[in-house]
Amino acid sequence: MKGISETYIGRWMGDVLRIFNLELRNILNDGGVMIIFVVAGFLYPILYNFVYKNGILEETPIAVVDDAACSDSRRMIREMDATREMDIAWRCTDIEEAKTLLQQRKVNGIVYFPSDFGDRLAAKETATFSIYADMSSFLYYKNLLMGSEFVMLNEINRIKIERLSLEGLTDQEADASVHTVRYEDVNPYNRAFSYSIFLISAILMLIIQQVMFYGMGMSVGTMREENRSFATLPDILTGKGVGRVIIGRGAVYWLIFMVIGIYVCCIVPSMFGFPQRGRFQDILLLLALFVTVCIFFSMTWTTLVTRRESAFLLFLFMSPVCVFLTGFSWPTTAFPGFWKLFSYLFPSTFGCQAFINLNTAGAPLQVVAPQIRALCIQGVVYYILACAAVYVENFVYRKSRFRPVPPA
Amino acid sequence: MTFFNKIDKVIRREIRIWARRPIYFLGSVAVMSFCTVFYLTFLGQGVPSDLPIAVVDQDGSSTSRNFCRQLDATQLGKVIHYGSFSEAQADLQGGRVTSICVIPKGFDRDIRSQRQPTVSFYVNGLYFLGGSLAWKDILTMVNLTAGAVQREVLRLKGVPESEMAGLLRPVDVDVHQIGNATMNYGAYLANMMIPGMLQMVVIIVLIYSLGAELKYGTGRHLLDTVGNDIYAAVSGKVALYTLLFTLIGWTVELILYKWMHFPLAGRLGQMLLACLLLVLASESVAVFIIGCVPVCRFALSIGALYSVLGLSLTGFTLPVEALPAGLRGLAMMYPLRQYYELYVQVGIFGSDFGQWYVHIIALLLFCFLPFLVMGRLGRAYTYMDYERN
Repeated sequence: MKGISETYIGRWMGDVLRIFNLELRNILNDGGVMIIFVVAGFLYPILYNFVYKNGILEETPIAVVDDAACSDSRRMIREMDATREMDIAWRCTDIEEAKTLLQQRKVNGIVYFPSDFGDRLAAKETATFSIYADMSSFLYYKNLLMGSEFVMLNEINRIKIERLSLEGLTDQEADASVHTVRYEDVNPYNRAFSYSIFLISAILMLIIQQVMFYGMGMSVGTMREENRSFATLPDILTGKGVGRVIIGRGAVYWLIFMVIGIYVCCIVPSMFGFPQRGRFQDILLLLALFVTVCIFFSMTWTTLVTRRESAFLLFLFMSPVCVFLTGFSWPTTAFPGFWKLFSYLFPSTFGCQAFINLNTAGAPLQVVAPQIRALCIQGVVYYILACAAVYVENFVYRKSRFRPVPPA
Repeated sequence: MTFFNKIDKVIRREIRIWARRPIYFLGSVAVMSFCTVFYLTFLGQGVPSDLPIAVVDQDGSSTSRNFCRQLDATQLGKVIHYGSFSEAQADLQGGRVTSICVIPKGFDRDIRSQRQPTVSFYVNGLYFLGGSLAWKDILTMVNLTAGAVQREVLRLKGVPESEMAGLLRPVDVDVHQIGNATMNYGAYLANMMIPGMLQMVVIIVLIYSLGAELKYGTGRHLLDTVGNDIYAAVSGKVALYTLLFTLIGWTVELILYKWMHFPLAGRLGQMLLACLLLVLASESVAVFIIGCVPVCRFALSIGALYSVLGLSLTGFTLPVEALPAGLRGLAMMYPLRQYYELYVQVGIFGSDFGQWYVHIIALLLFCFLPFLVMGRLGRAYTYMDYERN
């Protein structure tokens, strides 16, 4: 009877274990890589949570120019001041003064009531007031618009009922003809349109991918610099066993990143009181798949890295690009065709979407089936590409090793 | 050897390095070209259209069908019909539709008999722009429908057309968007994201260029070239990179304001000046980082952390005043913050020099940073007494 180590499976496992040990030792001995994994992996999620902790812009300072000076305009100004969005910080005598304040950034918007505002209301015509929003941040505009629209709609209904009563309608009749259709708006997953809830949901998974990529890039670059190759096959295999290299190396990263991943996706959100509506086992499943795909993805692309630092120089700019490609801000349906295809290159595109849907929207697993399917396809494709990369690398490496050193 | 001779020597040496290692070219020109193309094309026309809105029409009357058609006809919305709420909800959770609009059973009948039916709509606020735009779109449609019904009712009551407008809409608002009249999200984003990327690229590439001398032990050689004058060595390098990055930055700004015609209230020359100062200030930060930590890898990691966070901390997406109190001051650590303030004054308001010279001074102040660490960097180059990797 043959011993377990002589069967194919036994040898296979032995090789994987050897490569696993080698890679683990490599990573643990490399201070730079460890710093990236530990500091970036553990610190970044916390930093981002701190930066976006409030996430809601309230009480945007506004300057008011009230040329109408009637009871209606005064009431509207009071109501605007009372909204969550606006804070009437300055009352100006003319629009020029308000403009100066806007330029000095003391206010972020102007509300202007023209002198005929009250007269028009009295004459039962449409009275128009103006708002001027500073577009240096869309959030200022949003606050100014929402605040003044709430007040305006409220006023409209009040005045309508008043006017209809004058037409001879009873209060109840007037109310019924003002509110012919009522509405009820529900924003279940992000009630206040908080900037932090939508941004952090998208960013957490991306951190995992990027940290892994930079870390692995650094490790591969170091080996290249030290004239070794990440793709060295076990000598006894004589050029076979590419899959063992991938699995063995991948297993190391998988273990490290499952720890980081659980921290990023489960512990960090609860540390910051962030919504966690998904089931733990669903998230864990997604995470396991996502980390696997990220490993093959990083293995494929880090083949291009030739020096320890080049991953930073060449790919740092991809982090913000990947954020946009997840489609959480600019809607995916509005992506131009090319960038849509481009976004399929990154596991983060599907990983982030699936995480947002599972964790923050509390969707059941079958809802994210399309993303899971896409991740699986990515995983297979990147596995094949990573194998090809190791194969080619190994071929080139062997050739170069046996080439005589050219005279200097 | 005069100072200019020395600088000349360093520049020649640096160009030889560029020729040998393509990474400098790839890391600056190629990266910035990609970013410019990405941020200018990704957002298409700058205003999204045809956002998928799920409609669950439980009424199926001509009024409700008309409502759906009108909602579909808006620029923002595209209606997708669902048979049941639970199907629509799954797609809302999956992010495949931006919102659900439920038209209740008996909608038409209730309107006619003035029983005030309620239209419910559910928005997925996790997809920020899509969610909030769809919310606005549905709200407008509901108000318009209500208005149409009111108009009908008032007409039946014999209210003359001349009084109709005042009764239907007694107050109206006239909205002016200063600096971005068309609400072009693309212009808003590209105006700051591309300079943000420029800041990142300047910091990373210059740290690498200065750090590589330490890493490959060529610092001595660099100093020998210029007769042990660290100021000349760094100035030479910085001069060449300033030229490169300023050219990149100016090209980008010409594309933004001349070719894409993004709104710019002030003069182009003022933005070009801002760009030059952004490059100089970012370079100073880079020299400062590598001077504080003369280990290539550490300095690069710090530079990366610093510049990626800069995109969030400068306050062009989430304004600085919405940050936690303790973090607001951190915005001042970034040249990009001053560039943003300059852009607001020049690009949005078209203010005079008096309004924005402060930010010019602030950017110039960054340029004093390298002097604090020159001695240390010189010693690191001379003695090579730090870890290489």
